Amino acid sequence: MRRVMFWVAIVIILLVFLLPIAWVYVTSLKSPADIFRPEKLAFAPTFYNYKYIATVRPSLMEFRNALIVSVVSTALVMAVSLPAAYSFARFNTGGGHLLFITISTRMFPPVVAAVPFFFLFRDLGLLDTHLGLILLYLYFNMSFATFLLYGFFREIPEELEHSAMVDGYGRLSIFRKIIFPLIKPGAAITTVFCLIFAWNEFFFAFLFTRRLARTVAVGLAVFWGSIEIQWGPMAALMALAILPTLAAAWFMQRFIIRGLTFGAVKG
Amino acid sequence: MREAVLGESLETRRTFWQILAADRYIKWFLILPLLVVLLCFMFYPLFYCLYMSFHEYVLRAPPLFIGAENYRVVLHDMVFWQAIGRTFYVLVVCIAVELSLGMGIALLLNREFKGQNTIRGLCLLPLLISPLAMSLMWNYMLHVQFGIVNQVLVWLRLGAVEWISNPKIAIYSIMFISIWQWTPFSIFVLLAGLRGLPKDALEAARVDGASRWFTFRRLTLRMLTPLIIIIILLRTMWLIRIFDPLYGTTRGGVGTESLDWFMYRISFVFFDVGKGSALALFSLYVTIVLCAILYRQLIKALGAAR
Repeated sequence: MRRVMFWVAIVIILLVFLLPIAWVYVTSLKSPADIFRPEKLAFAPTFYNYKYIATVRPSLMEFRNALIVSVVSTALVMAVSLPAAYSFARFNTGGGHLLFITISTRMFPPVVAAVPFFFLFRDLGLLDTHLGLILLYLYFNMSFATFLLYGFFREIPEELEHSAMVDGYGRLSIFRKIIFPLIKPGAAITTVFCLIFAWNEFFFAFLFTRRLARTVAVGLAVFWGSIEIQWGPMAALMALAILPTLAAAWFMQRFIIRGLTFGAVKG
Repeated sequence: MREAVLGESLETRRTFWQILAADRYIKWFLILPLLVVLLCFMFYPLFYCLYMSFHEYVLRAPPLFIGAENYRVVLHDMVFWQAIGRTFYVLVVCIAVELSLGMGIALLLNREFKGQNTIRGLCLLPLLISPLAMSLMWNYMLHVQFGIVNQVLVWLRLGAVEWISNPKIAIYSIMFISIWQWTPFSIFVLLAGLRGLPKDALEAARVDGASRWFTFRRLTLRMLTPLIIIIILLRTMWLIRIFDPLYGTTRGGVGTESLDWFMYRISFVFFDVGKGSALALFSLYVTIVLCAILYRQLIKALGAAR
């Protein structure tokens, strides 16, 4: 009996979490008339909405923009955060204050940064460009990535490095041969998180892009016109925009088994 | 022979110290890029906002120094205080519901069962999907005429509800969307914490005849306190600037305007940069005070957990 109760609870939880996501795909296959008839559960699926977003609007460009911006910004974030997190974890650089300041940039309401950078970027001609958005995401994801990586670096015992040093390894070869293989899973999780954040980010993308550098997240909002919302095409674009994050989720699942304990908390 | 060994160990020790001495530079060298980005992206906006908050600047004319007028106007604005109150209401309700639901589901998922890893993974999905996309989808599903939720209610003969358009209900719909999306975060963190708990202590309590509730309250909950505070801390930071669920549903209307939406409206709809800057600094100040309090609690809890 307890087992039945347990599985009933699990099924309810899964339904609540997954049905809305499934509904995106169901809606994307509905014809324009069926969109407004929720009582019709058995409808004839059509690819009308997908054809619409592929032909009528620049969806492909939006995907390309989102891809460029998330990949480049994530690469930059990792280039900045990996050495910094290592320095924080191993040398306690700045005595904890600097780390706190770095993390506290996450406390900043995006509006605080949005107003000044909007005018700065306007003067520099960076509005509606990939570079502008990449710089913003670098700032946005850097503190979180540093915080996560800090926890992962802390889990690597310091003695390992000391003994390697005594064995005559240089700093660089220690990093390459000992630290890097150990940090790889942590770095992979951090990379995926940064990619997802950048891919999903809406507020900055919405304010700082118009047409040329518009990302998918902003593209979704465009379906909300002044008169009506184009639910069908919107669901189709959503269905495609969600796919990369679903792939990322599948990738991360392997690490969930290990249990992403927040290393920083364990101290 | 003996001297040779001693000399060698001295040799290695010296190089070790040399490297350590060089560390003083290498650690700053490693952190340099981060410092540069921090300086540019943190201090520039901060000083810009500080400067502009004492000026009147609505784009047409150059900034005009007006002292603390912006702050005075903002602090006397009823809409502002309503937005603050609403944001805090959302904050408290969402975090309370997310934590209790998250704890319940994490306890459930902490058992060993068939397909445990897949099911745990599936429970995290809402967290990874674009908040804007999902709030737009919820907007569709909660639509008063052709939303599936109301359709189900009609089938159950309960009658349709104006989820998004009724000023009394809209704010709860937004909370619901946020809770739906972020409960997995609580599950994720608490599940990781539960799996890291010392099994023998819980086992010992059970052997001693402690009730389940007692064990949970006195052991599990106490050991998870740091993680719970971390969740509260992070969610506070994120919820204080709740924006996407509003953009996807009510667009700040129907009595749902949050602090962040108010700031967005002042800064980017009216382009009142001075007032917007004053607001932004105020919001930053509130966030920092809240987070500092929580951070102190976290340090205390970490000390108690040791």
